[in-house]
Amino acid sequence: MRDYHGIIFAYHDEPALRDLTANRTAASLPFCSRYRLIDFALSSLRNAGILDVGVIMQRDYQSLLDHIGSSKAWDMSRKNGGLRMLPPFGLPQYHTGNYNGTIEALNAVSTYIRRIPQKHVVLLLGNMAANIDLDAVIRQHEKAGTDVTAICAGQGLESRHSNYLLGEDGLVQYIDLFRTGEAKGIPSLEGYVFNKDKLLELMDVCQTRNLFRFHQDAMTYFLYEAHGKMDVYVHPGYARIIRTVDEYYAASKDVLRPEVRRELFPADRPVRTKIHEDVSTYYGEQAKSRNSLVGDNCIIEGEVEDCIIFSGCHIGAGAKLKGCILMRDCVVGENAKLEYIISDKQAVFSPGSVLIGSPNLPTVVPKDGRI
Amino acid sequence: MKKSCIAMLLAGGQGSRLYALTQNVAKPSVPFGGKYRIIDFPLSNCANSGIDTVGVLTQYKPLQLNSYIGTGQPWDLDVSDGGVYILPPYLGAHEQGSWFTGTANAIFQNLAFIENYDPDNVLILSGDHIYKMDYADMLREHLEHDAALTIAVQQVSLEEATRMGIMNVGENGYVCEFEEKPKQPKSDLASMGIYIFNWQKLRKYLIEDDADPNSSKDFGKNIIPNMLKNGEKLWPYRFKGYWRDVGTITSLWDANMDMLSTTLINLYDPEWPISSRSPVCPPHYTGKDAEIIHSIVTEGCEIEGHVENSVLSPSVRVGKGARVLYSVLMPGAVVEPGAVVEYAIVGENSTIKAGAHVGTEPDGSEGWGVATCGPDVTIPAGAVVPAEAMIYSGEEV
Repeated sequence: MRDYHGIIFAYHDEPALRDLTANRTAASLPFCSRYRLIDFALSSLRNAGILDVGVIMQRDYQSLLDHIGSSKAWDMSRKNGGLRMLPPFGLPQYHTGNYNGTIEALNAVSTYIRRIPQKHVVLLLGNMAANIDLDAVIRQHEKAGTDVTAICAGQGLESRHSNYLLGEDGLVQYIDLFRTGEAKGIPSLEGYVFNKDKLLELMDVCQTRNLFRFHQDAMTYFLYEAHGKMDVYVHPGYARIIRTVDEYYAASKDVLRPEVRRELFPADRPVRTKIHEDVSTYYGEQAKSRNSLVGDNCIIEGEVEDCIIFSGCHIGAGAKLKGCILMRDCVVGENAKLEYIISDKQAVFSPGSVLIGSPNLPTVVPKDGRI
Repeated sequence: MKKSCIAMLLAGGQGSRLYALTQNVAKPSVPFGGKYRIIDFPLSNCANSGIDTVGVLTQYKPLQLNSYIGTGQPWDLDVSDGGVYILPPYLGAHEQGSWFTGTANAIFQNLAFIENYDPDNVLILSGDHIYKMDYADMLREHLEHDAALTIAVQQVSLEEATRMGIMNVGENGYVCEFEEKPKQPKSDLASMGIYIFNWQKLRKYLIEDDADPNSSKDFGKNIIPNMLKNGEKLWPYRFKGYWRDVGTITSLWDANMDMLSTTLINLYDPEWPISSRSPVCPPHYTGKDAEIIHSIVTEGCEIEGHVENSVLSPSVRVGKGARVLYSVLMPGAVVEPGAVVEYAIVGENSTIKAGAHVGTEPDGSEGWGVATCGPDVTIPAGAVVPAEAMIYSGEEV
């Protein structure tokens, strides 16, 4: 058994995801025709043999509970250990309002963290799209011998805050939290490998000083006051953190590119997800599907281009879709025309209906929407 | 744990008439209809019918079948007071036990397994048929008619009847005669090889049959005729739905093509799901120039070429400019750019290299048939595989 324990942050509501997170957390946002974002964190842990995992959630977690179920899909349904869902417990002040920051979220489940039998914890965001090779991260962490290793993005991630700047020894010298103008340093993916005792120390310090934030409070204390040593692991593949509709739409478009799919779904580190009772997708006589990803159990009779179609969708004959994301079980009537739409689950577009968004501002249709 | 009915699934057959496709696997684990393997149909039928205890009798090349069935979880058969059990032949003390020598012998050798559950009835299934059937309804008729044995039958043409086991039914509705492949069939009710026995009766006949040195230990040849001779009540359960034996290349290809028509067999029915062990691949991708017409496609596929009237299994790749027509591509098959696959079955993880041509359109001639490439076969660039060809893995083309 590895001496590492996983913690996934799945409590973020991310208001900039608008209707998409009306009834779910960002971590349970459907992604890439069959997944939920949290599948990436869960699978990264699973593929590194880390099966003892706590998932920190706060509210709107019904869809997350439903998705994770017994956690069998990630082999985390164990006799000893395994996956634990961590809603707020113990301290009544955590039952109301949103967590003010990640440290507050950790302190809300501090009894759990204190009881973790392993020496190290791996912290990951539930709302990232990245397949992280945690074996490689841990190898580097153990070689560096630091208390903390930050998992950072090697390409493409535009971080608005928490970039790390390294000193001559190759370790973190400075954390760049907010910057007007061009970002400097290596953007953090907000994933960390932590010595558990060091993490508990940071939680205690923040609790004492009534501070809540992970980067602003805990990491600045660690770097500048405690003069802690922190290494940086640069994840070489595709990585995005999804906090806004734009980021969600952009990442969804990215997975249409084969090189991005190769990095997100490498054969030796599969992304696991809840298995639905699905059958193949049927393409009709007049169907056309160009540059699109399509889940199982769909019936495609119309035309789709540059689309992400989730399982169970039915696209009627003569319907034309361009640049759309349709989540599970949407029905598009005959001859409907949809462009640049992000439709949540079970929406129905009546025959002949027309709904056009813009590639720069895709229109979001809520769950069970009727057009 | 007493059970009203448990199932015994005969999955040991080699399926020799599938040739290259069963070179290394038992027939029930041959991929079928995109996401499935043949055994998914009887296993799903059991689960949907409320039968939660299934013994799977294996013999020929069982490795892949064993790992595919696993704990039975994909079919919800991982229950604590029953479940799915792989039953291979075994030896006992004093050199008792042997390979299964016939269908009845396979059950006889597992009397102890069945007695564990002390069932009232035992359902006998075979692992090579494609159909959706509610065994609970068959059991209801079996009990209603106080039958010692109920046999599922289907109406066939008289021409087909000459190749099947035919039930002749008396005026009281019970079976009065059983004829194997009659030259002049007296009835058009063919046995589907699905039986529900009263367990105490079956037990008695199995023990008697085992003692008979002249018996071939077969249900159709020995057990059923003996029961009729003794005047036992045999009830025919008339089944009207889709049912196909997929024991030959032609019938396997035909039945796969049937999966393209929901009017023949509806796999999209949420009331009667056919479950399978999912490989959990990314969704399928259709490229900028892909054309997919009247076909089924599933997870892990990457389609850049033209696919028409075809059944694609998980992780199939069809390259740019390739054409796949009226074909069955099994998991992991690769059709490289510019290759043509028509009227063919391509086995698991086989590769059709660029510009190769597998199979031909039917030309009305005697010798025409579906071309078959077994699993792990590579057809070299530019090679031509004619109709009716059978390419084994390890074979040079």
